[in-house]
Amino acid sequence: MTRVSPGALRLLALVLVLLLVGAFFASQIENYLNARLFNRISSSVAIVALIACAQTLVILTRNIDLSLGAVVGFTAYGTGALVTAVPDLHPALLALAALGIGAGFGLVNGLLVAYAGVPSIIVTLATMAIFRSALVEFSDAQSITTDSLPDWLVAFPNLQLFAIGGVQFRAAFVAAVVIVIFVHLALTRLRPARALYAVGSNPEAAEMAGIDVRRTVLAAFVAAGALAGLAGLFFLARFGNITVVAGLGFELKSIAAAVLGGVNIFGGAGTVVGALIGAILVDLIENSLVRWDLVSEFWREAVLGLLILSAVTGDALLMRRLQRLRIRRDKAAAPVPKEATP
Amino acid sequence: MAAPVLALRDVSKSFGATRALSGMTLELWPGEVHAVVGENGAGKSTMIKIMTGVHAPSTGGVEVDGRPVTLSGPREARAKGVSAIYQEPMVFPDLDVAENIFISATDLGLVQRRGLLRERARELIARIGMSLDPDRVASGLTLAEQQAVEIARALSQDVRVLIMDEPTASLSAHEAGELRRIARGLAAEGVAVVYISHRLEEIFEVAHRVTVIRDGSHISTRPIAEVTPERMIAEMVGREVGNYFRKDESHATPEVLLSVRGLGVEDAFEGVSFDIHRGEVLCLAGLIGARRTDVALSLFGIRPATAGRVLWKGQEVRIGSPRAAMALGIAYVSEDRRKLGLALPLSIRSNVTLATLGKVLTRWGLMRERAERAVTQGYRERLNIRMADADTPVGKLSGGNQQKVMLAKWLETNPQLLIFDEPTRGIDVGAKAEVHDLIRQFVRQGGAALVISSDLPEVLALGDRILVMREGRQMGVIPHEAATQEGVMRLATGQDRDAA
Amino acid sequence: MIRTLGLAALLAGGATMALAQAKTLTPGQEVDMVLLPKFLGILVFDQAHEGAQEAHAELQNPGELLFQGPTPENSVAGQIEIMTTAGTQGVGAVMLSNNAGDQIVPAAQAAQQAGTKVVTWDSPIPNGQGEDIFIAQVDFEETGRVMADMAHEIMGGEGQFAVLSASPDAANQNAWIASLEEVLGADEKYANLELVETVYGNDQSEESYNRALALVDSHPDLKLIMAPTTVGIQAAAKAMQDEGLCEQVKVSGLGLPAEMASYTLNGCAPQFALWDFRDLGYLTYQVAYGLATGQLTGEEGETFVAGRMGEYTIEADPGREGAKRVLMGPFTVYTAENVEGAAN
Repeated sequence: MTRVSPGALRLLALVLVLLLVGAFFASQIENYLNARLFNRISSSVAIVALIACAQTLVILTRNIDLSLGAVVGFTAYGTGALVTAVPDLHPALLALAALGIGAGFGLVNGLLVAYAGVPSIIVTLATMAIFRSALVEFSDAQSITTDSLPDWLVAFPNLQLFAIGGVQFRAAFVAAVVIVIFVHLALTRLRPARALYAVGSNPEAAEMAGIDVRRTVLAAFVAAGALAGLAGLFFLARFGNITVVAGLGFELKSIAAAVLGGVNIFGGAGTVVGALIGAILVDLIENSLVRWDLVSEFWREAVLGLLILSAVTGDALLMRRLQRLRIRRDKAAAPVPKEATP
Repeated sequence: MAAPVLALRDVSKSFGATRALSGMTLELWPGEVHAVVGENGAGKSTMIKIMTGVHAPSTGGVEVDGRPVTLSGPREARAKGVSAIYQEPMVFPDLDVAENIFISATDLGLVQRRGLLRERARELIARIGMSLDPDRVASGLTLAEQQAVEIARALSQDVRVLIMDEPTASLSAHEAGELRRIARGLAAEGVAVVYISHRLEEIFEVAHRVTVIRDGSHISTRPIAEVTPERMIAEMVGREVGNYFRKDESHATPEVLLSVRGLGVEDAFEGVSFDIHRGEVLCLAGLIGARRTDVALSLFGIRPATAGRVLWKGQEVRIGSPRAAMALGIAYVSEDRRKLGLALPLSIRSNVTLATLGKVLTRWGLMRERAERAVTQGYRERLNIRMADADTPVGKLSGGNQQKVMLAKWLETNPQLLIFDEPTRGIDVGAKAEVHDLIRQFVRQGGAALVISSDLPEVLALGDRILVMREGRQMGVIPHEAATQEGVMRLATGQDRDAA
Repeated sequence: MIRTLGLAALLAGGATMALAQAKTLTPGQEVDMVLLPKFLGILVFDQAHEGAQEAHAELQNPGELLFQGPTPENSVAGQIEIMTTAGTQGVGAVMLSNNAGDQIVPAAQAAQQAGTKVVTWDSPIPNGQGEDIFIAQVDFEETGRVMADMAHEIMGGEGQFAVLSASPDAANQNAWIASLEEVLGADEKYANLELVETVYGNDQSEESYNRALALVDSHPDLKLIMAPTTVGIQAAAKAMQDEGLCEQVKVSGLGLPAEMASYTLNGCAPQFALWDFRDLGYLTYQVAYGLATGQLTGEEGETFVAGRMGEYTIEADPGREGAKRVLMGPFTVYTAENVEGAAN
């Protein structure tokens, strides 16, 4: 009997919700389903997917990172300033710098959470403001502008790798998907990555099992920071013009995407592929809403919240239904359990 | 064998002003099952924590193979071959069996090879004589299976000393037997097994030697053949225990308080029928999986019945919520003190008045602290709750005292029917007797009690009648006079069925 | 060549000049000043700060000039807090670019009662309460006309266009959009320009970028996106360029030459306009200094000399009943011809 794993089941439910949302908007908005929509969403998902992936790593360990948006903003600015100062910098070095800056911020968060024992929501709430203020200070109110960036960087997000009809697969999107898959493989295939799940699943047991819980949490924050740093570089490449508000609000978007993607907010369960689909869903809803005449500007945020809420609820209900079906089927298929004899 | 594999030498441990262990000495030799018994609060947990490196001794030392060592934490203890499994297993609910077993393995390479993992998991599980699918997710495992996973995990790390802390407290009789067999098997392989249990009868079945501790001190260590249960209990409590196994006469009156006919909850149990009289104790016996707790949950309105009729004092009622149950006068003292029973971080007095806040409120909706204290003090005396003061968080009390606080909470609702779910699980002999006394006192004063217990001596000691269930079905009702452990077990295991 | 469109300002100045003698401010009086931008880290506010510093030095004020602003994620609450603190510390004047709408009023009124002058610049307090005077960078009506003219020229006099604004509660943006609509309705010249939608990008690159693309998708015949915000215009221009839409949809509005130069040169944003924020900061400081030292009364019709910028007159604010303003003007419209010079 082929058995669908719970993880696959969750992704299936999510894809169903995604299709439902798409179908709903297709019925509401003229000229909606076309290649252009894919191009639009894929381009902006490239950034959100990375931070959703970062947030997932942290949430898996029963923590949360509210400073990711500030890290994206700072890295976007920092790498922008760097490449402005050193225009001939090798792309790989620039990417390395982005990872490094982000990982540095993650290290601060991780040390405070794991070793000082301060709850992550407090730590990152504070560092969100601190990192952002540091950016204000560092930037000296100057913006990074597109023309100071090297051409390869500006061209990167929209570089068309291949196309199927009008559906374009652009470099940033493809790169983000590749990174997400890479992280996914690492999480599922690398043995040390299991520690993330173990720590989030049962911290006490992890300690007892001899896992270094603090180092695991630290690693999660550092990795999340590095991914957010990379997202910052993507942000720089895409928008070119970087002010101190860059990446504002991304922390909440990343949480929404991760939770929609089936990452358990209480830690221990979830996949980054789920978070990727969650990011697509958030973006789809957002992009569709701004094209929907029925919803006025002032209600858009509320409707967005409502739709995310109903998507999460719908997903949870669907999940429960599918699970019950599976249990029924298992029961029907399984032999009657043998009763113990004393 | 020149030296014990693990030894405590004159170990003392203090927490602030409290002395948890004083001058404890214990030697563990390869190949033995070494039982450690003592009342709750005797220092067993502290001793385990020192052996597993969670705590460092205040004075004295730990030796491995005769050499003094400092254990910095569970990780180092594991590296030296010392592992522990607990009453509540430490598994990762989101990971599968194989991953759980090898979570901290270091010799399996960086990349996870499913095939290898699965195969080695199977080997280990087979080694302890169980069969478990390595791909199953741990959250779906029974307690016994989770413990098996933990034992397999310890084995995967070349365990030399395995500490089992109350491993059978939550297991059915059959499962407990399996576990004892595993313990003996591991000892036969040369592992030193420390076996901690409140079930004296199983200690006689499993242990080679037994150590009694009391008030943080070592009392005795003897080969099992030289010990009797009476002597062991006397040493544990330091006094004669009166009526633990004695059943006093029934106080049942002819008045039927609750009557249940053909009660059922979908996917849980069906066809349960019984009467409870005022002054009566009805025990629900059965193995784990008999769905006895589901009966209690449905009578308390947490999982309302989907079939059958419930009559309260002759009136047909529907119990759709705990609120409805409480309004009738039904209270439920749950099995899981942590999850359903107590708010552990809250103070004792807040817990006592949790279900009856209305009574200690002023007209303006404010708490009357003095009233709350008075109520708490009353129960402290009546139930003999040992506590520093009423503001201590409940989480700091011993299991027996927690149980009493929970009982106080429900007695405060002035119930007529008290449902007890495993009221004495994990609490020591002395406290057990006290809880039994309280239940008897309650029914003597005109209440009725429904007691779910997996402890057969307890069932026989308490029950005026014993209802036995098996896999969601009522197997029969035995009056106290006709009840024997064997008779109950035969029904519970389905070898026999009551003619009635 | 720079095309200036400051007729209204010149007319207003000339009309009142005859009525009163222009006051000259006496330098050297000590008074502490606070310059409070919407939030820190935005170039134009820093430019205004430079202008204020210039005036501060010129007027030889021995007191302090503090540049205090909230962080971006805390703009509204931060502004209210700084305003409150300034009042209790008894500074002479707070120069505010308001981002808190009418929510700032109680704090501003409290500051006024403590003797602090509240001078707004860039963005006023919508209901005019708690404010002594507003230094208007340009006439709001003028802004509408400048935008209408740029749209008219870029679109060849006909077609659909949309507005990409900052936030729905930014007072200055809303006033500009209102005046744009008014100008469009009033003048036959613009009869064939159709404003199809107004959307908000909240002055964030990402949001503005996505909103610009959404506009293009929702309105297939769109010819122009008008963004009266420096963040929005840049994001919109980048979006059109990235998606290869510059031939089809042009971008215009209010922008910074340094940020817009490349888009103006490649034709994505052929024209845009702005005023000089250094001058705005300079003028604001002059007025605030005059009020705080008691040299200016702040009454309508009062005329004064604002250092290097010449004479200005306090007048009623036509957009807000009961409020007073000083109108700076003029606009500079940037095209491919002058943008490079201004960018450096």
